Amino acid sequence: MSHGSIIKVPFGPQHPALKEPENFLFEVDGEIVVDVKPRLGYNHRGIEKAFELRTYIQNIYLAERICGICSDAHTTCYTQAIEELLNVEPPPRARYIRVIIAELERIHSHALWVGIAAHEIGFDTLFMYVWRDRETVLDLFEMISGNRIHYAMNTIGGVRRDIHAAMVPKIKKGLDFLEDRLEYYLNVVQTEQTILKRTAGVGVLKPKDAVNLCAVGPTLRASGIKNDVREDDPYAAYDEVPLNVITHEGCDVLSRILVRCEEMLESIKIIRYALDGMPEGIIRVRVPMKVPEGEVVSRVEAPRGELIHYAKSNGTTKPERYKVRSPTLGNIPALCKMLLGGYVADIPIVLAGIDPCFACMDRMAFVDIKKNKEWIWTMQQLRRKYAKK
Amino acid sequence: MDLDHAAVKEEVRKKMTGETIVSMIRILVFPGALFLFVLAFFYEWVDRKFFARLQNRYGPLHTGPHGILQPIADFFKLLSKEDITPHASDKLMFILTPIFYFALPLTTLFVIPILSQTSLVAFEGDLIFVIFAFTLIIITVFLAGWSSINRFSTIGSIRAMLQMLSYEIPMGLATVGPAIVTGSLSISSIVKWQSHNFWLILLQPLGFAVFTICLLAELQFVPFDIPEAETEIVAGWRTEFSGRKLALLRLGKDLELVLASALITSLYLGGPQQFWLIPPIVAFLVKTTFAVMLLSLLRAVFARFRIDQMLSGMWKYLLPLATLQIILIQAGLGG
Repeated sequence: MSHGSIIKVPFGPQHPALKEPENFLFEVDGEIVVDVKPRLGYNHRGIEKAFELRTYIQNIYLAERICGICSDAHTTCYTQAIEELLNVEPPPRARYIRVIIAELERIHSHALWVGIAAHEIGFDTLFMYVWRDRETVLDLFEMISGNRIHYAMNTIGGVRRDIHAAMVPKIKKGLDFLEDRLEYYLNVVQTEQTILKRTAGVGVLKPKDAVNLCAVGPTLRASGIKNDVREDDPYAAYDEVPLNVITHEGCDVLSRILVRCEEMLESIKIIRYALDGMPEGIIRVRVPMKVPEGEVVSRVEAPRGELIHYAKSNGTTKPERYKVRSPTLGNIPALCKMLLGGYVADIPIVLAGIDPCFACMDRMAFVDIKKNKEWIWTMQQLRRKYAKK
Repeated sequence: MDLDHAAVKEEVRKKMTGETIVSMIRILVFPGALFLFVLAFFYEWVDRKFFARLQNRYGPLHTGPHGILQPIADFFKLLSKEDITPHASDKLMFILTPIFYFALPLTTLFVIPILSQTSLVAFEGDLIFVIFAFTLIIITVFLAGWSSINRFSTIGSIRAMLQMLSYEIPMGLATVGPAIVTGSLSISSIVKWQSHNFWLILLQPLGFAVFTICLLAELQFVPFDIPEAETEIVAGWRTEFSGRKLALLRLGKDLELVLASALITSLYLGGPQQFWLIPPIVAFLVKTTFAVMLLSLLRAVFARFRIDQMLSGMWKYLLPLATLQIILIQAGLGG
């Protein structure tokens, strides 16, 4: 194919493969991708500014709503940060409950992703089956917290609801069912020829590139690099729970599927251990409204990878500055690397391979492409520009 | 004498009118256009329902009993929707292609025996006509995508063309099998031959498999729905079509499904046969429903191939298999 036939194909902001608005401009030579330009920011919601306008208690609910899928990871990260500023330690039982909820969330998020990945390669039957079985986790969440998606379990100084003894056998029963199904899907993914054809050797990210481009989470682990905040910097009760970090050497989309499938099985083991080893006692401690002055960075292993929250307190009831770095943002440079040289037909599955969550990611910054300049406006400047209109 | 002559003339005219009316009814109502439309909508429902049940979903449920009227409801809904013609498109081609896409399978269905073992239009060589029509359908698809001047459509239509290059020859070879055995290029004769001998699926299972796989590609079903891969290129070649044009495209697709299942039935499953007191049309309907369900089953159990994988797979595996079938027939096996 000649170089004269390069077509620019826009991918998004509205596109069936992207469930959230984000734009990628592909330069395509026939069926081969020769260049990718990501353009982020379509889903900016002003979350960080909103953090600064609300009290620490109100912000728990805001943090929950950064993401609809990993809502617990964000609140865990937020409450951890504030607890560190307050210098309080959540009670042991609360730490175990946090682990259980976080791992249930990992199962629900990864199962959702496996379904989407199957849909991206046109395997709708697997998509329907996985999502049907994912309902089990959502039902467990409903039993524990009363909600299927936004569980509202975390609070500063512990958790809001206990996992009662009566719930434990039900959770275990659900886990047994899921383990059975997940092993079946793992088998399907490893043996079904059309899946292997579409995923093996696709979207390759070499270990060296993965490290250099700061990939995180399952994307990094699928490139054979053992990196997991749960092990490297244990939070909640992860220092007491045995944890096996899953890695795969394939560096391709297939490895990413396998890493996630095996992580779900690992999560089931962790939850079983935590349910049995959960200490008795209180689930939360009371904390003051005012948070002492200071700065803190908190890290959590969200389903999609390392999640970082930064908080700066000035001694009042509201944070002075808040910053969220969601795992998707960390994976975008690596994603562009994976897409280069691939086929147009592989774009959706490679894109989906990092499990993107653009709504979590978008932050406000202005970029002038022509002048190659980047800046951030203050609220006053924004008001001056838009308030009168 | 003059009077006599006029009476004869009148009689002939009457007879002619009667024949014309009968043949008009046969072409327009039963088993012609109207019957085929109903069949097309029915098979779309069978396909959707069966596909959904395989995926543990309900499928169409609300319109009519078990949602059986849903395809018709969808069709009329689309008819009433706004019909947009893109400003940059090749207007004439853009308007004509949906009509061709709908008319081609409909016309081709007239050479397939439905009511009895002779089709409405039967001539020696109609098998070649059917293969030619299949090619024309894909060329229409290409023109439809190309004329809409949309990047997704363009990629979709190029993919449709590439796909055709790969499956057309194996499909042609697969249809040669029945023709050699029966010594005829007419579908009606092939059907008649099978009613006296065995069904060809028993004699040429390899040819049947190749033909079914090629039909999946022709119908753009998973794993060969590459030209309209939703997650990659939106709706592929049909991205820009809306309203009445989209309704026609959908009906055309349904008719193509009828054509495909009717071809499987005629070439390999013995076509409309009389079993004891059951009329041949019932046998035809049962067999075609089975063929539709086979196609739905196949599209439920695979992931989509990439275009290059499909091309190489077709040339590497399907073409040798189709050739092997013909060698076997010539060696005296399979007929």
